[in-house]
Amino acid sequence: MKAKKVKGLEPRGTLRDNAARIVSVRLAELRSFVPAAMGRDEGDAQHDMRIAAKRLRYVLETVGLCFGEVADTARQGAREVQTVLGELHDCDVLIETVERYTSEEGAPPTDRGLEVLVTRTVQRRDQLHADFQSLWSRLDGEAVWNRLAAAAEDGTSA
Amino acid sequence: VARARPVPDLRPDQTFATAAARIVAVRADELLEHSHDVLDLNEVERVHDMRVATRRLRAVLEVFRPCFPKKPYRRVIAELKDLADVLGERRDRDVQIEGLREFAADLNEGDRAGVERLIESIDSERPVANLALATRVTEAHVAELCERLAELVAVAEAEGRRA
Repeated sequence: MKAKKVKGLEPRGTLRDNAARIVSVRLAELRSFVPAAMGRDEGDAQHDMRIAAKRLRYVLETVGLCFGEVADTARQGAREVQTVLGELHDCDVLIETVERYTSEEGAPPTDRGLEVLVTRTVQRRDQLHADFQSLWSRLDGEAVWNRLAAAAEDGTSA
Repeated sequence: VARARPVPDLRPDQTFATAAARIVAVRADELLEHSHDVLDLNEVERVHDMRVATRRLRAVLEVFRPCFPKKPYRRVIAELKDLADVLGERRDRDVQIEGLREFAADLNEGDRAGVERLIESIDSERPVANLALATRVTEAHVAELCERLAELVAVAEAEGRRA
């Protein structure tokens, strides 16, 4: 997923002013995946949302000092979103790997162990999907993103 | 995972270009630091640490993109993307094998054959992934990348001084 370009950045402007523009764009990008990524089988949207969370996290790691405590909370939130969606994606990749392996020419027949592996991976994915929904609700309920958006809009510590 | 090293003397009121120079210099050092011994197939965390350092560096370069001249910037980003891709090819297999080994250990012995064959199949791909990685972590290659990064840092520093 290509990152949206941030307009109006000025190398000779202050870090704070430029950081505010970048955070606003990256935060909006992350939030744009809701509700699409909330569906159980929206693997592509969930993967793209993970990348958006990673981008926001790294931006906040880099320029979070411009926005005070709310940036730390948001960075931690973005990290949690990235982690849960990353584990969910790992499940998708593992299921694909097993399917590819068992469908290869000359592959041994699927045995009970591989069947259990796929079943448990699907169950784990469902659990991670539920965890992701709860996490997003919690972060929204704590107004983490709204507070970060406000801090970026002010361009000052919240 | 190696934690990001703090960047000294960063302030919200300094110029974007000055901040770019300081942050990129620290993240480039981190990449260099984590570029050693990553080809050892028994030391999976080294690949992970270098991958994280590569991602962090690429992320900060993207944040500060307007502070760098276009062509050298694009070249460095392309190199870092290639590096991240080959590190990812190794790392993804390391993680899958680790997870599958844990899973297999919980199975009855009679049910393990398929999973063990799958582990062998993924494991057989690791030396191939390592070969691709080997070409990008030679001392000369990493030194060249660091030189290009130092040039980007110098341009940003100069821009910051002019403000």
